[in-house]
Amino acid sequence: MTNAQIEIQLIAALVSIACAIPGTFLVLRKMAMISDAISHAILPGIVLGFFITQDLNSPLLILLAALTGVITVVLVEFIQKTGLVKEDTAIGLVFPALFSIGVILIAKNANDVHLDIDAVLLGELAFAPFDRLLISGADMGPKSLWVIGIILVITLTLLFLFFKEMKLSTFDKGLATTLGFSPILLHYGLMTVSSVTIVGAFDAVGAVLVVALIIAPAATAYLLTDDLRKMLVLSCLFGVFSAISGYWMANILDASIAGSMTTVLGIVFLIAYLFSPKQGVLFGFFRERQQRIEVSLLIFLLHLQNHTEQEERHVNHLREHINWQKVRAKTVLELAAKNNLVQTSNNIVSLTEKGAEFTEEALKYITTNKATAIEELKERFFLFRG
Amino acid sequence: MELMDFFTDYTLRTITLGTAILGAICGMLGSFAVLRKQSLLGDAISHAALPGIAIAFLITGVKDANYILLGALVSGLIGTFWIKGIVKRTRLKSDTALGLILSLFFGFGMLLLTFIQKMPNANQAGLDKYLFGQAATLVEKDVWIMAVVTGVSLLVLLLFWKELKLLLFDEDYTKTLGFNTRFLDILITTFIVLAIVLGLQTVGVVLMSAMLLAPAAAARQWTNSLGVMIILASIFGALSGVFGTAISASQNNLSTGPVIVLVAATFVVISFVFSPGRGLLFREIRFRRNRRELHFKKTLTFMYHIAKNHENVSHPHAIRILNNFQGFTRKTLNKLEEDQFVQITGTDWAMTEKGYLEAESIFNQIGKDND
Amino acid sequence: MNTNLPAIQIDDLTVAYDYKPVLWDIDLVIPEGVLMAIVGPNGAGKSTLIKSILGIIKPIAGTVQVFGAPYKKQVDKVAYVPQKGSVDWDFPTTALDVVMMGTYGSLGWIKRPGQKEKKASLEALEKVGMLEFKSRQISQLSGGQQQRIFLARALVQNAAIYLMDEPFQGVDATTEKAIINILKELRQAGKTLIVVHHDLQTVPEYFDWVTFLNVKGIASGPVMDIFNDDNLTKTYGINYKVAVNQ
Repeated sequence: MTNAQIEIQLIAALVSIACAIPGTFLVLRKMAMISDAISHAILPGIVLGFFITQDLNSPLLILLAALTGVITVVLVEFIQKTGLVKEDTAIGLVFPALFSIGVILIAKNANDVHLDIDAVLLGELAFAPFDRLLISGADMGPKSLWVIGIILVITLTLLFLFFKEMKLSTFDKGLATTLGFSPILLHYGLMTVSSVTIVGAFDAVGAVLVVALIIAPAATAYLLTDDLRKMLVLSCLFGVFSAISGYWMANILDASIAGSMTTVLGIVFLIAYLFSPKQGVLFGFFRERQQRIEVSLLIFLLHLQNHTEQEERHVNHLREHINWQKVRAKTVLELAAKNNLVQTSNNIVSLTEKGAEFTEEALKYITTNKATAIEELKERFFLFRG
Repeated sequence: MELMDFFTDYTLRTITLGTAILGAICGMLGSFAVLRKQSLLGDAISHAALPGIAIAFLITGVKDANYILLGALVSGLIGTFWIKGIVKRTRLKSDTALGLILSLFFGFGMLLLTFIQKMPNANQAGLDKYLFGQAATLVEKDVWIMAVVTGVSLLVLLLFWKELKLLLFDEDYTKTLGFNTRFLDILITTFIVLAIVLGLQTVGVVLMSAMLLAPAAAARQWTNSLGVMIILASIFGALSGVFGTAISASQNNLSTGPVIVLVAATFVVISFVFSPGRGLLFREIRFRRNRRELHFKKTLTFMYHIAKNHENVSHPHAIRILNNFQGFTRKTLNKLEEDQFVQITGTDWAMTEKGYLEAESIFNQIGKDND
Repeated sequence: MNTNLPAIQIDDLTVAYDYKPVLWDIDLVIPEGVLMAIVGPNGAGKSTLIKSILGIIKPIAGTVQVFGAPYKKQVDKVAYVPQKGSVDWDFPTTALDVVMMGTYGSLGWIKRPGQKEKKASLEALEKVGMLEFKSRQISQLSGGQQQRIFLARALVQNAAIYLMDEPFQGVDATTEKAIINILKELRQAGKTLIVVHHDLQTVPEYFDWVTFLNVKGIASGPVMDIFNDDNLTKTYGINYKVAVNQ
């Protein structure tokens, strides 16, 4: 590995971590698309900043572009507040317009601006090591490494300082307000951090792909865990993994680094989407089946408890009246019998003592809307699962 | 290029006609997307079409518009249904699903595009026109395809007008009346995807969604009728296409997509500000007028309370006692004098008979409203 | 209808969202010609019950029959008044237009409403006292007026059964009176009315039939017989005596 290769991977990894952190909160706050809006809308800010500073890594340019991002959020929220259009339409109107201005500015000043459209969409990670930071002649490493490094340090500091507040305002806005944390301040804080991160990452991965780096790791992590801390760690891991393996894939295919980073992210998401034990589609199929049987069992028990009449408790009634397919009715009846919840005599089903007790308790949980407590109840009563 | 050439040149006429038709169909179907609160779906679909374009080229090895259109259509539909799958099957919300599909598909598409660019038989230059659109590459056949699709969707729209309108307004109610909402949903989604795919060559994947939203959002401000809204959106869309093409053709180095989007955005801004019914300008004017009227009425009733306690209602009082009253301004007093509700002499004011009667009726009116 | 069949018969109905039970083994028979309230605490599944009757929500077990047949076959006999908040009132359409939507069901696919439908819609508008607002954009109507429009839309359907989801929510006192008068009139004409209702105080005054619901069915019958502290306590879990007697 050459030095440049290591540096590129290091930059890519830092960019993905810097993106994954605000991304986690954006996904949880149902604001993922705002990152799409910001990443497009900062383009005119970057171009104008470039006119002034002539340096893509200048702090002034980053601030200017980040300001454009925050202005975009304010503009979107202003349009939403007028009530003239629906909320998502406001996002969809603002960013293409600003992005268009950026593209036209680049096209019209192609001679002065060394930015091209490909760079806007894809970034130029491969060239990052060539732009060095020189302090009194000494080589301090690539400029973009410093830029994204500083952004990451700021993000991490803010995360440690305000973790509790962010967690609370993300999950319970009302409580956060009553406890005196201003949700508005946290909201704009998050928007500012997101904007700065997007600007910092823009150079490396471009306008559209930065959205992937923000959303995909967080979304993947959210399919695997409920814990905010774990989700943050997992998002960062997925980001770094995609950055490194994406780099090597691009190397082999001789294609865009950012494009292959995104592709790896896509594959990682696809795997979680299919195989996540809790949320995955594949296990979801089995889980759904099991749940359906369990719910059916509960209905069946409750039905027995509800009805003392014999004809309501006849085996055939299950099929005729409760309207289940024959197979399911049979499975349910067998499951109930296996667990000693019911007994059958002369084709009349009745609850055993254990069954009656179970039903009584289940009902209590259901009517008090504590469906989660049923899980614990099932653990206690069930010997065999469906 | 001179403006006159624009209308005489055959190629330009074709291109202009193409962008006009495209704008019209986007405005028409975009109205549905906007009213169904699926504004950002268009953005996701257009981005999701990119890998389809690249794969179509990789498979066929030629730059045939038909194959590419087909590839884009398939890939766009896969993206759309995957979004629906993610929302339905996982805990991820629709904004995350949209952003995911949009960026992941696009990233994959870009990977393929850069891969193609570096292939030895790299005579494929021009695939990147699908990023920002290049109207100049439109030929007569493309325009024909657009015209046919527009015709068909117009026909479907007219045929199922009643059902679609019902679906847009109240989906549950539509179901209870016995209509198959799934069929209607697939119908309208398919046409939206088709319109997006058709526009990719002209406007490009990155900005296609604006083409769908902007004319509809602008049109909504001028009317309260769904039919008129759709017609207006088509007109706005067509005009954006025509002006956008004209401007971008008259300059070097300008992709069509961004220009068309900016023209459409101009329509939006004008509509937001100047529409008489909903526009911000008239809303502000109405708001101020109401506030002034309220001040006027409040001041008058305040005077009424003072005057009422005197036998002679026109007994003069010092103006300065009005200063204790919130909402009183010099302007209101002048207006009152102008309307001959009060008479001002020096630093005193006195209510006229006319003013007293007016105030009494306002006061009674307020009393009634509070009941 | 002049049949001996009950207007609605529900057997062993269970509904779950994501397998979290919302309605649990409901058995319910609603005779024809009653004006019935469905009461129960928040999250009791009142709206869900109505939506399952209408086939908007698929139950995981049990059956619903409307005059002895599945809902799909009886679409023309049932009218639905959804919760006011369930639609976007900024939709570009007029009051008359919304009411006309009530005629779409009987028109079927593709056919457009004509003069006959327009006349019926205008009559319905007049009945709810909204004729003068017929060309008004729906966002410019007050909450009570919007509710009246929804009622008029159901009236145009000229159904035998009316299902209403909280028609009194967020409406002014005048509208509430006007609506209940129309409901009573409909009942006089032999229609069956099923209303999700929140205000327990007005149940005896407005309704002649009541169903207590809290995930499970608690009780159902004439207001005179079953609207008592016992059932209220069973439904709401706390002693309701005080609240009702106020």
